[in-house]
Amino acid sequence: MNLTRRQLMKNSLLLGAAMPLSLGAAWAADSGFADAPVHGPIRLYGADRSTTELGLGLRQQGWAPSYEGRLDPLALNAQPAGTLAAGFTDEAGLVLLTSLLAGRGRVLALGRHEAGHHQLLSHRGPLAAPLAAEAGSWQAALGREYARLALAAGSARQTRDVRRPASEATDATELSFLVRL
Amino acid sequence: MSTTQRILPKGVSEADFDAALARFREILGADSVLTESDQLAAYSKIMMAGDDADYIPSAALLPTTTEHVQEIVRTCNQYKVPIWTISTGKNLGYGSAAPGETGQVMLDMHRMNQILDVDPEVCTALLEPGVTYQQLYDYIKENDLKLWLDPPAPSAIAGPVGNTLDRGVGYTPYGEHFMFQCGMEVVLANGEVIRTGMGGIENSSSWQVFKWGYGPYIDGLFTQSNFGIVTKMGLWLMPEPPAYRPFIIQYQDPEDIEEIVDVLRPLRIAQIIPNAVVIVHTLWDAGTHVVRKDYYDGKESIPREAIERIKADEGIGEWNVYAALYGTPEQIEVNWNIIEQAFGASGKAKIMYGEEAEQRGGGFEYRSALMKGDMNLQEFGLYNWRGGGGSMWFAPVSQAKGSETKDQTELAQQILGKYGFDYVAEYIVGWRDMHHVIDLLYNRQDPEETKRAHDCFAELIDEFAKRGYGLYRTNTEFMEQVAGTFGEPLREVHKTLKNALDPNGILSPGKSGIRS
Repeated sequence: MNLTRRQLMKNSLLLGAAMPLSLGAAWAADSGFADAPVHGPIRLYGADRSTTELGLGLRQQGWAPSYEGRLDPLALNAQPAGTLAAGFTDEAGLVLLTSLLAGRGRVLALGRHEAGHHQLLSHRGPLAAPLAAEAGSWQAALGREYARLALAAGSARQTRDVRRPASEATDATELSFLVRL
Repeated sequence: MSTTQRILPKGVSEADFDAALARFREILGADSVLTESDQLAAYSKIMMAGDDADYIPSAALLPTTTEHVQEIVRTCNQYKVPIWTISTGKNLGYGSAAPGETGQVMLDMHRMNQILDVDPEVCTALLEPGVTYQQLYDYIKENDLKLWLDPPAPSAIAGPVGNTLDRGVGYTPYGEHFMFQCGMEVVLANGEVIRTGMGGIENSSSWQVFKWGYGPYIDGLFTQSNFGIVTKMGLWLMPEPPAYRPFIIQYQDPEDIEEIVDVLRPLRIAQIIPNAVVIVHTLWDAGTHVVRKDYYDGKESIPREAIERIKADEGIGEWNVYAALYGTPEQIEVNWNIIEQAFGASGKAKIMYGEEAEQRGGGFEYRSALMKGDMNLQEFGLYNWRGGGGSMWFAPVSQAKGSETKDQTELAQQILGKYGFDYVAEYIVGWRDMHHVIDLLYNRQDPEETKRAHDCFAELIDEFAKRGYGLYRTNTEFMEQVAGTFGEPLREVHKTLKNALDPNGILSPGKSGIRS
């Protein structure tokens, strides 16, 4: 398990129900992708299973996510330039996050995951993966896609709509992001 | 879908734009000239019901000095490049940080963020446009100054200069921001710098205390306008009072708005209640922390039955009046008795302060913070009410008269209802006027709903104008239409001034419907 004691304690302090995240991270570390190269740290925001799965996908592609709990855009904005962050948030969080990035950072990708479809926007080239869940959840697939985009060079804005299979029936909307300060 | 075509300013060739960018890089340094898609993405995010493709900038410039701004406008004149100025870029309900039209270059002033002076004796400040309320608040606390700010609801991240220049309001006795502005430094379109009020006198000690200067008073020309770029602004700060009593008055019936306003008016004009009071409707009060679909998931306006359930669950009224008293404990006691008597007369009002008010639902805690100038971001919760990222603030002005308020409320509810939107609204009470602020929340991801929101907003503007009600402020998508409601003679004056001050039309073309 790659989480440090400090990270575990931080998760526990930040999140009342930190255990699922810690377990998820531990599982991610043991999920057969141990040989993947390490690209560096990425701050991971959100406080539910989707975040854990997103972290899994990032870790599978060689990133080292640190679990930061629910997104606080003001705290994120205080991080040093170059900081990479991903995660899930709500409408209010997304408005605050994007407005704080004006002149201060880069929006690499945004995702809106609604009943019936995923709407993905990338400023780092075409979105390749269909977010199919053959190798796990769609959130983990998204993590793998975000891991790739985090390394891609700048490019024009791309948007893509991906239909969600009926087996993923949900009426909840989730909003994902990948940004660099 | 891919957007690969290069965005250029309207009427500017690629070669000229490249030459202008090269000059901007010489002036500012390459790191302060943003042209990449992922850097400009945050400047393209809009919440109003316009087409995303209409609000994409071609570049963003990040000056740090007045001299930078002077050189930028000279370059813009040379190459006829239009710029759209933002201070901190948090004008979320009115256009966000996006340009007025695709191709304009963003002039983002957020790095001009020096607090140049705070004088605790005369209670004034001199600021650059990138200073945020949080920054000024921290400065005041760190220096143990007994001064209060007057932030709008997105307080921590917004800034006093940008908010004042858009004639925004807050919630303390200093709520009408432009009234408490004093002295500006402005870069004109030709690159010259002027100082208004007493600022033209070298070494003037009264630039931040005497507004009027000598000759015509021109500060207003640089608010909600595109006649110059404000690079410094003075404002007055409120001395911290010895005592403070926030309170809430709840009314349960929709029709009660008439009584509230008629009881409130004389108390506001006589300054018995000195602050910018807000009268908050159920859906705004609850919407900062409650999600619509927990009560109703239909496409139509939320029904009365659901509103009543929210009121019961949250312990809030149909109308929730947030106000405060400031002064010595003795002054507060005297005024409190007058208020209790006035609002208690009909027997409809429930008046609360202290522990009783704190224990109720709704927004008493964050409203209490705002009415004493503390930082708060609670109202961002409204964006979760309906979801989908659509928000437009429709903000007509009314007299502080109950009959007029009732008329505006009914008209707004009728039009919003026709289009299937909710009346998420509040009235902010000035001395004699009220800003009726309605947050038209909608799902921007749904093209049909976005079109409906657009049509609804346009109809609100027209129908309110027919009854003599004009807007005090609007988002960039509707600036042209709103300018039209104020009549052609006024527009001609604006255009004449624009042609005189900015003949090449490089400064924020289209702001408030003004073009050269």
